[in-house]
Amino acid sequence: MSELSLTGVTKAFGGVQVIQGVDLSIEKGEFVVFVGPSGCGKSTLLRMIAGLETTSSGTIHIAGEDVTKAEPYDRHIAMVFQSYALYPHMTVAENMGFALRLQGVAAPERRALVTEAARILQIEPLLDRKPAHLSGGQRQRVAIGRAITRHPKVFLFDEPLSNLDAELRVQTRLEIARLHQALGATMIYVTHDQTEAMTLAHRIVVLRAGRIEQVGRPTDLYDDPDNLFVAGFIGSPKMNFLPVQASGPREITVAGQTLTLALSVPLPTGPLTLGLRPEHLSGEGPQVTLVAEVVEQLGQTSYAHGKIDGTPVIAEVRGHRPQVGEAIPLTLNPSRALVFGADGQRLR
Amino acid sequence: MSPERRTAWAFLAPSLVLIAIFRIAPLIWGAQLSLTDARGITPGAFIGLENYRELAFDPAFRDSISNTILLIATLPVWVCFPLLLAILIHQGVPGGRFYRATYFFPAILSSVIVGSIFNTLLRRDGAVNAALKLVGIAPTDWLGSSHTALLSLIAVQLWATFGMSLLIFLAGLSTVPQDMIEAARLDGARLRHLVWFIIIPALRPIIEFVAVVTTIGILTSMFGLIYVLTAGGPGTSTTLPEFLIWLELGKLNRPGYAAAISMVLFALMAGLAWAQIRIMQRNADV
Repeated sequence: MSELSLTGVTKAFGGVQVIQGVDLSIEKGEFVVFVGPSGCGKSTLLRMIAGLETTSSGTIHIAGEDVTKAEPYDRHIAMVFQSYALYPHMTVAENMGFALRLQGVAAPERRALVTEAARILQIEPLLDRKPAHLSGGQRQRVAIGRAITRHPKVFLFDEPLSNLDAELRVQTRLEIARLHQALGATMIYVTHDQTEAMTLAHRIVVLRAGRIEQVGRPTDLYDDPDNLFVAGFIGSPKMNFLPVQASGPREITVAGQTLTLALSVPLPTGPLTLGLRPEHLSGEGPQVTLVAEVVEQLGQTSYAHGKIDGTPVIAEVRGHRPQVGEAIPLTLNPSRALVFGADGQRLR
Repeated sequence: MSPERRTAWAFLAPSLVLIAIFRIAPLIWGAQLSLTDARGITPGAFIGLENYRELAFDPAFRDSISNTILLIATLPVWVCFPLLLAILIHQGVPGGRFYRATYFFPAILSSVIVGSIFNTLLRRDGAVNAALKLVGIAPTDWLGSSHTALLSLIAVQLWATFGMSLLIFLAGLSTVPQDMIEAARLDGARLRHLVWFIIIPALRPIIEFVAVVTTIGILTSMFGLIYVLTAGGPGTSTTLPEFLIWLELGKLNRPGYAAAISMVLFALMAGLAWAQIRIMQRNADV
């Protein structure tokens, strides 16, 4: 049985439908990340699971129990907010033990549970401080600690790293991954940062305009996207898209070169899109030349920006450091090429 | 003096002159007057602290102070009542906007109009007694009995002014982070827990501010209502220091003695203002 299941879940604010029929099952112990651009409904969906937003239609089950209409406190979930949402007038220990206090847990037992959570998060020295005297990273740990002490069935994270600086974000991301391994808990994590999604998730749910575009393991979404949106959203720098036409049942022509693709179905007539990731412009296949207009040097690797047939293209270059104006030979590797139809769906 | 300082003084000067003429000078003049036996328009002779000694034994003044203490003792009602209503409106009870406007409406009425309305409602043959009669309660002379007059006055003033406190609380509630409320709901907080553990601590600076402002308000702005409803009576049961000052000055023509009462009231106000500043400084450190 799934730990969490959403069936035909919709949400409308006034006349605007922001969640449009979401079906999803999450297994016990799974780490699932909701990603998508701003306004795609990922935070709304998380808040619906938490019970902070009502569900217009459909059902939500947690551990087999229908919680669609249940109050947040009856859902056995804990949530970590982007803003930390700590209680400023309480100490760290009081913040972490507040839920237990409301449950009527005796003070000594409460202190023991809070101390145990603080030990896991290495925030024991902070227990008697108020949130105002903590750094952003420490506050986020306390917010996570508050969730841990409750031993919830599902942990929800709503963009928890967005308020942290870049270095702390990487560090806290690793700690969340370690925490998940240590607790083995079911976690749902919302982010717009696809690096966070790729590094943390067992499965990624890509959302757009209130619909699920694709669900899968991070590498599956990266290697085998279902549509143009997912192909463009997952991966950084993003995938190159070149407008092409079919020149045969399994052939396309791009920049004067013909590529023969291993497809199970013949290509339709009309406009198509060829997708090639910046790091896949090498190997065997027809060659084209990219004149570097801008070069981003990252040390180990470089990204050269230029145009092929008037379309902007980014190419990853390893082995040497290209200069602006340099003609860089690229390979249109058919084994790496993805083709999308006029409707944006992948042709396989 | 540098040009910057000269410019600063030029901008400050009008305010300083106005404060000196209309605040500081009358205060000093009032303090001097309180040490004289001035009557009517005659300046009067210096009598030291005689007026203050007389105050200590003046039954009317002592009654006004005991009335003031009773009034201040009702402060929790003046704070909790609008706070509770503000929380309910903020939580989104149906018709919240209507209630907000309705509760605030009396705050824009002058105390004379409020007094006239309640003079009609609270008299022996008024609407309040008529309503009580329907449920079998005997009529009461709300304003004519020394047992009920002060409480009636307090109730009318509360009705007339709590809308302002409610509005201040609503403004304060809008600053309580929604995330914090939601986190508490996820932690298992029901409405009563939310109010007690989250909202009231978050509103503490606002509650303290309302308490201080309300105390000052009820000590200095009930004159109109007392004048219209009870004229300080029956006896001295609704006489407050503010009303006594007017009686001594306007009716008994004793500006020296009235000035002494004013200085006592000023000292009381200064104490409250000091408390207010302390509270604000403490909250600024949080």
